Amino acid sequence: MSRRYDSRTTIFSPEGRLYQVEYAQEAIANAGTAIGILAADGVVLACEKKVTSKLLDKDGSAEKLYHINDQMMCAVAGMTADALILVNNARVTAQTHLKTYNEEIPCELLIKRLCDVKQGYTQHGGLRPFGVSFLYAGYDDRYQFQLYTSNPSGNYSGWKATAIGANNSAAQTLLKKDYASDMSLRGACELAIKVLSKTVDSSNLNSDKLEFATLSLGADGRVVRKIWSELDVDLLIKELGVLEKADEE
Amino acid sequence: MDIILGVRLQDCTLVATSKAATRGISVLKANDDKTRILNTHNLLAYTGEAGDTVQFAEYIQANIQLYLMRENDTELSPKATALFVRNQLATSLRSRKPYQVNVLIGGYDTKTDVPALSWIDYLGTHVELPYAAHGYAAFYCSSLFDRHYRKDMDLEAGLDLLRMCVKELEMRMPIDFKGVYVKVVGKDGVRAIEL
Amino acid sequence: MNTIASQFTQSASSRLQSEYADAQRDFSNAPQLNLAPTIELPPISQPTEFLRAHTDDASNPDCKIKIAHGTTTLAFRFQGGIVVAVDSRATAGNWIASQTVNKVIRINPFLLGTMAGGAADCQYWETWLGTQCRLHELREKERISVAAASKILGNLVYQYKGMGLSMGTMVCGYTKKEGPAIYYVDSDGTRMKGDLFCVGSGQTFAYGVLDSEYKWDLSVEEALYLGKRSILAATHRDAYSGGSINLYHVTENGWIYHGNHNVGDIFYDIKEKEQSFNNVDA
Repeated sequence: MSRRYDSRTTIFSPEGRLYQVEYAQEAIANAGTAIGILAADGVVLACEKKVTSKLLDKDGSAEKLYHINDQMMCAVAGMTADALILVNNARVTAQTHLKTYNEEIPCELLIKRLCDVKQGYTQHGGLRPFGVSFLYAGYDDRYQFQLYTSNPSGNYSGWKATAIGANNSAAQTLLKKDYASDMSLRGACELAIKVLSKTVDSSNLNSDKLEFATLSLGADGRVVRKIWSELDVDLLIKELGVLEKADEE
Repeated sequence: MDIILGVRLQDCTLVATSKAATRGISVLKANDDKTRILNTHNLLAYTGEAGDTVQFAEYIQANIQLYLMRENDTELSPKATALFVRNQLATSLRSRKPYQVNVLIGGYDTKTDVPALSWIDYLGTHVELPYAAHGYAAFYCSSLFDRHYRKDMDLEAGLDLLRMCVKELEMRMPIDFKGVYVKVVGKDGVRAIEL
Repeated sequence: MNTIASQFTQSASSRLQSEYADAQRDFSNAPQLNLAPTIELPPISQPTEFLRAHTDDASNPDCKIKIAHGTTTLAFRFQGGIVVAVDSRATAGNWIASQTVNKVIRINPFLLGTMAGGAADCQYWETWLGTQCRLHELREKERISVAAASKILGNLVYQYKGMGLSMGTMVCGYTKKEGPAIYYVDSDGTRMKGDLFCVGSGQTFAYGVLDSEYKWDLSVEEALYLGKRSILAATHRDAYSGGSINLYHVTENGWIYHGNHNVGDIFYDIKEKEQSFNNVDA
C-alpha cells in the first residue's frame, strides 16, 4: 500500500505520513551515536566513530564534529556528505549575519535558518530529505550555553542532555537517570563517556571509537571551542577511569 | 535644508529634527516629523532627497520589525541596527537608483545599558559619535558641540545644549525651519519631549 | 468528418483551458501593483535624459513637446469639512491650450484628487487610483481610507521616480475613522498629511490670501468663498493660471460640487464687493 506514496517525497500517505522523511530518520537511527550534555560552565558533544580502519589516512580533522562559527559547533549523525552541505550553509549564514549586523548570530536563529532548508527538502518536488540529524552546542548572550537537536523533518528543539543516532533511546534513558542540572563540564564529560561505554557495542572504548568536543568560556570571557585530539580523549578516559568503574558495576 | 541633530548623553540619546517640510519656495508643512521608530530602543532620523527619505525609513522600519517578529521579540542592538542600515545604503549606492538619504540612529543598548548614536550618510559611511548632525546644520552646530559638550551630561544639560543649537540656527540660517521636534531614546524606550 | 469534429472539440476545450488559466492567473496576482498597467519605455538608453531634452522648456525653449504645466490648486480642512478649489487653465509653454480644464478628479463619491503638473499623468494615474480604491472596497467590504488611497498613489509614483512623471496632487476625502483628511502627493514621491495645501505655479499667490484669512472655525459659506477668492488671487497674478474656478466641499456624506465660476465674470463683482484689487481700474 505504502509503495504508491514512497516515490514522491512531497506526497502524504493515506495515514497522513511522509514516508521519505520517516525513512531518513530511520537511516539516522542506525548511524553512530552522538550525545550532547549541557553543563553549568559549558557544553560537551561526544560521538561514536564508525569508520575505524588502520589504513585510513587521518588528516587530523574529526569525522562528525564541525565548527560553525566562533561560538557554535555541531555533531552529525547520518550521512556525512549531506551534513557537509548543511554545515557549509550554516557557516555562510553565520558569516552573512556577522557581516550585516557586526554581531554573532543568535544560536537559535541559525538553527531556525538551517531547519528552513531542511523542511524545504521535505516539501518541494523532486528532492529527497537530508539524511542527517544534528546536535548543536552553542553560546550566545541571549541564553548563554545551549544545546539543540534537529532532524530531517526540519524540527528542532533545545535540550539539557540528549542523544541522536544508534541506541539513542537507551542513551537518553541513561542520561535521564544520571543528569544533574548543576553538573560541571568535567562531570558532563564523565557522564558522556559513561553513557557511550554502555551504548557503543565495543569491548574496549578508546580514541579510535570516540570523538569529543567541548565548548566553554575562557578566562577572558570569550568562547573556547575545542575538538579534542586523540591524545586528550585517551587521557580523559584514563583519568576518569570510567571504564573500569563501569566494568565493576 | 532639513536639520537633524543627535547628542549622546549619560543615560540616553537625544535626537532633534526640524518641523518644516519645504518644497521649492514654499513651506508646505510646519509639523513634519522626520523620524521613524524602528523598535523600542532605536530611532531613525532622516534627511535627503524628497520621496527617498520616507520610503527608505519605512523600508528599514519594516525590516527591523520583521526581525523582531521572527526572533520572538528579541530586539536588534543599536550597533547591529546601524550596521544593517549602513549595509542597505552601501548596497543601494551601487544600484541603478540609489537612495539619497542621510540618517542618524539614536539608540539605547538594553544589554549593556549604554546609549548610542550613529551617523550614516548616503554613501554608507558609518561612525559612532557622541554628537552628530547632517547638512547645513552641521556647519553651525559642530563647533557648538565641540565647545560645550561634556561626557557626563544628563538629560537637562543635553536639552540646554540643543536649545543653544536651535537658537544659533534660528539666528544664522537664512530659512525658517519652524522649530524642532526632540525625541529621547533611553532605558524605557522612545519619547517625545518639548524643548 | 471526424477531423472536423475533433478540431472543434480540441479548440473548444483549449479555449476553456486558456480561460481557466487566465482566471487563475488573475486570481493569484499580487493584489495591488500587478494590476497596474505597465508603461513601455522609449527605446533609448536614458529615458530621463531624453524626456528632459525634448520636454523641458525651461532649459530648452525650442523643445518640441510642451507639457501642460501651470496651475493653481488648493485644499484646506476646516470645521465643516474640506474645501477644494482649482483653476481651469492649461498652458503649453506660453500657449494657453485650454480655459476649461477639469482639474479635480472625482476618484469616487468620497474622494477627490486635484491636478497640477502634467495633465495626462494626473488624469491617467488618478483614474487608475479610482479603480484601485474600488477594488479595495470589493475586497475589504469597506471604503478605503484617505491615508491608504494616497499611499497607493504615492508608492506608484515613487516607482516611476526620475522617469519623467510630473504631478502635484492632493487626495482629499472623508472617512468615519479619519474624519476629513488631505494628503499631498507629488511625483518626487513625497506624501504628507496636512490641513492646508496650495499646489502649482500660482501656489504662492493662493497661500497669500488663504493664510491671511484662514481659521478653523470658518463657516461653510465663508470657507467656500475663501477657497474661491484664493484661486482668484492666483489667476490674477499667475499668467499660467486662469479660466474658471471649480469649487468643491467635502463632507461626511461625500463631496458636493459648488459650481464653475468664470474668473472674468466674478472678478469685477468681487472687486466691487470687497473694494479690493485696487491696482485695477474699474
